Order: sequence, then C-alpha cells, then structure tokens
Amino acid sequence: MRGRVHTIGLRELIFNLQDFYLLSYRASLGIIRRPFYIKDTIEQMDYAGAGSFFIVVLISLFVGMALSLQISAELSTLGLKMYTGKIVGISIIRELGPVVVAVVYAGRVGSGIASELGSMVLGHQVDTLRVFGVDPTRKLVTPRIVSALLMLPVLTIIGDAVSLLGGYYIAVNVAHQSGTFYWSSIREVLDFENVFSGILKPFVFGYLIANICCFMGLSTQGGAVGMRRSTTRAVVYSMIVIVITDFVLTRALLYILGFSV
Amino acid sequence: MIEFDHVSFAYGANHVLQDLSLSIGFGERVAVLGGSGDGKTTILKVILGLIKPDAGRVLIDGEDITTRDEEGLREIRMKFSMVFQEGALFDSLTVKENVAFCLREYTHLSEEDIDRKVRDILSMVGVEAAMHLMPEELSGGMHRRVALARSLAAFDPKMFLYDEPTTGLDPINADNICRLILDLAHNGKGYIVVTHKVVDALKLAERFLFLKSGVIFFDGGREELMTTADPDIRRFISELNYGTDTHGEDFPS
Ligand SMILES: Nc1ncnc2c1ncn2[C@@H]1O[C@H](COP(=O)(O)OP(=O)(O)OP(=O)(O)O)[C@@H](O)[C@H]1O
Ligand SMILES: [Mg+2]
Repeated sequence: MRGRVHTIGLRELIFNLQDFYLLSYRASLGIIRRPFYIKDTIEQMDYAGAGSFFIVVLISLFVGMALSLQISAELSTLGLKMYTGKIVGISIIRELGPVVVAVVYAGRVGSGIASELGSMVLGHQVDTLRVFGVDPTRKLVTPRIVSALLMLPVLTIIGDAVSLLGGYYIAVNVAHQSGTFYWSSIREVLDFENVFSGILKPFVFGYLIANICCFMGLSTQGGAVGMRRSTTRAVVYSMIVIVITDFVLTRALLYILGFSV
Repeated sequence: MIEFDHVSFAYGANHVLQDLSLSIGFGERVAVLGGSGDGKTTILKVILGLIKPDAGRVLIDGEDITTRDEEGLREIRMKFSMVFQEGALFDSLTVKENVAFCLREYTHLSEEDIDRKVRDILSMVGVEAAMHLMPEELSGGMHRRVALARSLAAFDPKMFLYDEPTTGLDPINADNICRLILDLAHNGKGYIVVTHKVVDALKLAERFLFLKSGVIFFDGGREELMTTADPDIRRFISELNYGTDTHGEDFPS
C-alpha cells in the first residue's frame, strides 16, 4: 500500500474549493437546463422528504417541549411567564427550527448522499454513466439539490409546527398558562419578517448541504476507508457550514429587515 | 484507430503510465496483460477520456481527445462499449433497468419495445431469468453477463473494451464469457481485453501487450509470445503448463 498523508495543504484546499464551485455551478445550471431527470428527482424527494418526516417530527417535538419548559421556568421566577409563547415562537421559527432540521437533514440525508455516491464512484458506476454519455452532475447531483431545495423548507415548516405544539403542551399542562394567550402570542410572532427569515434559511441550508455532500461523495477515493472519510466529512462540513451560515444570515436579515441589535 | 503518443499519467507520485506509445486498430483483438496495479485499467480509462494524461496525446480516429471537455468526449465514448472490472451495474436498478438504461436515455421506445429488446439481449447472454432481480442477488458470473448485456444495449460501438471480464470466475463461467466475447466480435469488430490470465488471453486475442510498471515491454503475436525468452513473460506463460488458473490472484512479478 502506498502511504498517504491526509493533511490538507492550502494548495489542495484551493483546488478542492475550485472543484467544489465548478460542481455546484454545473449542477445548479442543471436545474434550468435540459436534460431534466424528473424521476430521479422525485425518488430523491421521497427519500429525503418523506423518509425524514418522522425523525424531524420526533426531534422537533422534544426540542419544542424542552425549550418551552426551560423558558417558562426561567420566566416564572421573574413573573414574566406570559412571554413564554413569544420567546418560544421566535426562537423556534427564526433560529432553532431551521438549524435543528438542517442538522437532522445533514445527518440523515447528507450522509446517505455521500455514501451512496461514494460507493458509485468506487464501483465504477459513475464512470459507467460517463461512458454512456450521461453527465453524472446532472443525473446525480442536480436531483439531490432540487430535492433539498424543496424538501428542507417543507420539513422545517413541519418541524416548526410540531415544536410549537410541543411548546404549547408544556406551557399549558406543565407551566399552567392560558392556551389562548400562548397561541395569540405565537400569532403575533408569525409576522412577515420572522416567517421570511424562517423560510429563507432552510433554502440556503438545503442548497449547501446537498452540494457539500454530493461533492464529498463524488470525490471519494480509496475503498472502505475512503468511504468513511468522505461520509464523515460530508456531515461534519455540512454542520459547520450550517451554523456559520446561520449566524451570517441572522446578522444579514436583522440588518436588512431593519432591526438594531 | 487508437493511438497513444508518448502518454504519461500519474496518481500523485505514483507514475502509472510512463511515456507510452502504441497504436491499435478498431478491428484488432488485443489482450493487455500485466500484474495487479500495473496500469491496465488506467489504459482503458485514458482511451475513454475518463482520465486525462499528464503528458502526451491520445488520438482516436486521428482526433486528439486530451483537449476535449466532457461534452466533446461523448461522441468519442460512443465509439466504444466498455465493461468495467466487476461489472459496475447500477445497484439501485434491477437487471432489466440496467440493461434498458441507454434505451431509456437515448430512445423513445415504448415500454413493450424496451421489454422485448431487453429480453432479447438478456437471452443472448443467457440470463433472461434474472430480468427482475437486483444486482446484489446475482452471482459473479451472472453479474458479468448482465454487464455485457448492458453494454450491448448501448449503441453500435466500433470496438469493445473489457476490463478483466473473467477474473474471479470458475473455469466454466470464464470460458462462457470468453465465448460470448468472441461471438460479439463476429462482424469484424475488435476488442481490447484486459486480463492477468494468459489462458483467457490466448483464447481471445491475436495481439498481446505486456504491461509492467506503466511500460509496455512486450507487443507481439501468439508466436512471439510463446517463444519469447523474457523471464517475466515466461513466468506468466508457465501458468499454462501447470494447467491451472490463478483466479483473482495477483500473479507474482
Ligand atoms: N483512483 C485512484 N487514485 C489513486 N491511485 C489509483 C487510483 N486508481 C488506481 N490507482 C493506482 O494506479 C495504479 C494502476 O491502477 P490500475 O487500476 O490501472 O491497475 P490494474 O493494472 O488495472 O490492476 P488490477 O489488475 O488490480 O485491476 C495502481 O498502483 C493503483 O494503486
Ligand atoms: Mg484493473
């Protein structure tokens, strides 16, 4: 076996980024240009969307309940329990919902993308596509990007709704607040600014996750160890990019929508 | 006509092909022999433009393919039919869908026509019964046959490329695959078959290339092969005298 050092030098990093941009560019172009792989896209949407439904519901439910519990406990010591709904609502819709669902998506769908594409590379299936004159970027990457662009926002909305319901359950049954008041403060929170931020984020996250995971999968090298490496990297890089992008987006949106911090 | 003009290729510091020059006509029956890791598969990938050489030119029908992009390579790739080592079936698709892949991609045949065509091709390679199975349910030999079938459904190639079509198969299955390869080449079409089994190479080819560490150190016909004094080649050929196969094993070099 030939030994290989796996530290990424600056040169390699720049090369990788260049390849990454090229792949995203070509794959994104595939969204608007023929050929369209509708069937592959629907398959991906089924796997990514329908397949992630239960895990998103489960995790969002508990996040919503825990958050509501924590906040109402804290606020009741200050006698401000009636703000629970508002704080839970904003936290879920603007921050936690998009980030939690995106992380779940990266863990479940992203790792699947990287390992599937990785094994296709190692098994020469990607080369076979190229020999058949089919562009793997269009056939494999574009459907996964489209699927993420469509499914992650939907999953996020579902996750948000479930979290708010969980929060409601705790607020009413454990913290003994008025349910009507909880919902009316949630309704207040559902204004344009908050909803816009809450929906924009999953679009951006979905695009990034799909691109990163496809790139990692397609650049797999070197057998089972290589697969492990690219799958791990796909998930880790996705998570890092999610949290950093979230911060940047939050900052940018607050600025654009005219809040001062 | 495939021409290599001083082609070199390296994976990082691993110099796989070194200053390789050769030419092969589309009608020739060529066996590329060599030990594991000597760059046999790499040669096929270079021919198809799947990897670009670091130096030198590759000419297909007189056209330099090293300067072409993916789009431009398409037309070149359609001149060949390639079966990869291990078959490389799409493991998310059934046997039928694998074979129908190019039909669906490039033609507008009706479902019945596709069904009939796939059935015809599969019965030609003798695995019609496996039509609705998934690739993971196939045995090694069936896998290779389906891969062959899929490459047949593609286009009308000028030349076939086979990467170790018989490795890992028992002698009977290996022999069947060899027959199939010969059958497919009936109308004067040539092939390049990569193998490290001299037995199969002798069944299939008229011209033999021996590759070692990225250099061709033998290029000749059957006579020359059997009478050569080169000790490395003699070691390969000695396999014949024992009458045994080295299935899937790397031949010592
Ligand atoms: N994707 C890759 N990345 C890095 N090195 C590679 C890659 N593919 C092949 N190599 C190296 O290139 C050399 C030649 O590989 P190649 O696949 O052409 O060998 P081969 O002659 O086909 O061997 P085998 O009989 O085992 O298939 C080997 O040393 C291998 O380690
Ligand atoms: Mg090989």
